[in-house]
Amino acid sequence: MRLCISKFTAAVFCTMLMQACSSEAPRPSGASAATAGVDFSGAWEVDYSQSDNIRDTYESIIRDLRRQAERRQRGANQGGGSMSAGGGAGGDIYALARMAEVITDIQLLDIDQNQQEISVKREGSFALMCEFHAGRLHTEETPLGKEVCGWDGHQLVFQIYLPDGLSIFHRMTLGPQGKRLNMATTVRSDQVTYPFTLDRVFNRYDPNNSGFRCKQTLTRGRVCTTEAPEQ
Amino acid sequence: MKLAMRFVGLLLALYFPASAYAQQDPVQQVGQVALQQRGQLAESALLDVGIAIFDDGVPSDVSTHRELGIYPKVREVESRYLPVTLRQTLVASNAWGVVRVLPEASSLSEVWIEVRILESSGLRLRLFVTARDATGRAWLERDYLDESAETDYPIAPGSEPFANLYHSIANDLLAIRESLAENQLRDIRRVAFLRYAASLSPEAFAGYLAEEAGQYSVQRLPAEGDDMIARVERIRNQEYLFVDNVDEQYISFKGEMAPAYDLWRQYDREQAIYRLEYQQRVANRDKQGRRGSFSAMQQTYNHYKVSKIQQQDIRDLALGFDNETAPTVLETSGKVFRLTGTLDSQYHEWQGILRQIFALETGLPVEE
Repeated sequence: MRLCISKFTAAVFCTMLMQACSSEAPRPSGASAATAGVDFSGAWEVDYSQSDNIRDTYESIIRDLRRQAERRQRGANQGGGSMSAGGGAGGDIYALARMAEVITDIQLLDIDQNQQEISVKREGSFALMCEFHAGRLHTEETPLGKEVCGWDGHQLVFQIYLPDGLSIFHRMTLGPQGKRLNMATTVRSDQVTYPFTLDRVFNRYDPNNSGFRCKQTLTRGRVCTTEAPEQ
Repeated sequence: MKLAMRFVGLLLALYFPASAYAQQDPVQQVGQVALQQRGQLAESALLDVGIAIFDDGVPSDVSTHRELGIYPKVREVESRYLPVTLRQTLVASNAWGVVRVLPEASSLSEVWIEVRILESSGLRLRLFVTARDATGRAWLERDYLDESAETDYPIAPGSEPFANLYHSIANDLLAIRESLAENQLRDIRRVAFLRYAASLSPEAFAGYLAEEAGQYSVQRLPAEGDDMIARVERIRNQEYLFVDNVDEQYISFKGEMAPAYDLWRQYDREQAIYRLEYQQRVANRDKQGRRGSFSAMQQTYNHYKVSKIQQQDIRDLALGFDNETAPTVLETSGKVFRLTGTLDSQYHEWQGILRQIFALETGLPVEE
């Protein structure tokens, strides 16, 4: 794969510069859960058959970039212009793809949502949390990064800005009848002008079919019961 | 690189206002304070103290809670738990009359203490304390700040990581009381009694007191053996019975909450210190690979991921605390629900009943 990339490095870099102008970050609009009217609550498991395959996505991007670069090359030859060369850009897309794979390597989601907030617990990773404030986005900043989240129509968007120009956007969409959840994850780097997006599809499942319901307590740890939940 | 590290250092300092590691507080910590205790004091030197349940200090703007590290459910428990600790400290000083925790300010007490929680975590406790006596004289109006030490945890039964803060409040109150002359102490007691009597029947007792800008003074005293005074005393004793019962419930609430609350504070402190040390380690660590490379991005992402997971562990602990304390809080409310409503509405109801009894006995109108 690396060999394949190196052949197109110069052309790809040039094309990416063009792409950068048109690729905008998602801009979530602030709204309350009620106005969005979308409820993601529940337990979800990944459906690999419906999700993007990282290799296919990567190769598709490379093919796309190659075609664009070739068109640019032809245009440059005809117009007498010159094409600037950039080292390692294709390799950096590969790095972004690998990062997307690391970030989206989530099998289960456990989502709690109410009028005020949503918590998207992701197995093996940190939870995405968002508070809904009418008319404004929820922002949280630490020395290690900044998160902005909110509704963009019926979609919930999380933007995570990390040091060294790395950013991660998650866009969550609920499918028909609320049976399917799509999480599109876009990874960007200020060193790579082309973002990498990977779609993961999740299906609902019932975590209680084991017959247990558990809750965390401080002095007794995790306490489980077989009793039915209070109505 | 150095510049970047300085920047991260600056961010750390801004992000951890709650830590002594990173910030010079405008408020001085109380430091090591031994509780001043007194031996047998004469009855005339003792004043009764009322402590209102604390103002939880939770901002109404919910969007600020996470940033401020405030868990409203935990604060709700603290607003009932911490006043009992202050009460126990004052009792231990052996320098006061009856010390009670009450749902709200009352004219029943000779010295009245109100506290707002400014900051409360396993690491730090900061309270704003206001104390006044019945004459309206301001005793205290200041911040108290204490930071726990590693040796304070795990919390042994009956001990308190922020004992120095409570000692400091108790010592300050005692210093003020001891600065008062005997006639001033006597006036406080008299004014307290007359204010209570005036709250039962302003018509009968307002003339005994003068009030100017919140300062009360005795104008004249009721005659010796006045029947009305005997009735006021009897009604006041009835009210004492009720508030002593309320006070008992707060003490029992604290006893039930202590194991979970102590664990919460211990974990909270451990997590806060881990978070701080982790971020300092990150700030001092060398970058892996060039910017934009997989290893550099992975390192950046993993730093963030670890800090977020740790931050969420604290949230889960708070949730665990809620899960454990919620039934007890309800149960406590349930116990005192026997009258009606919440503890303060019950108190109002009880006060209303006493005033009606007083009015029936004296034929004087009841103050609405």
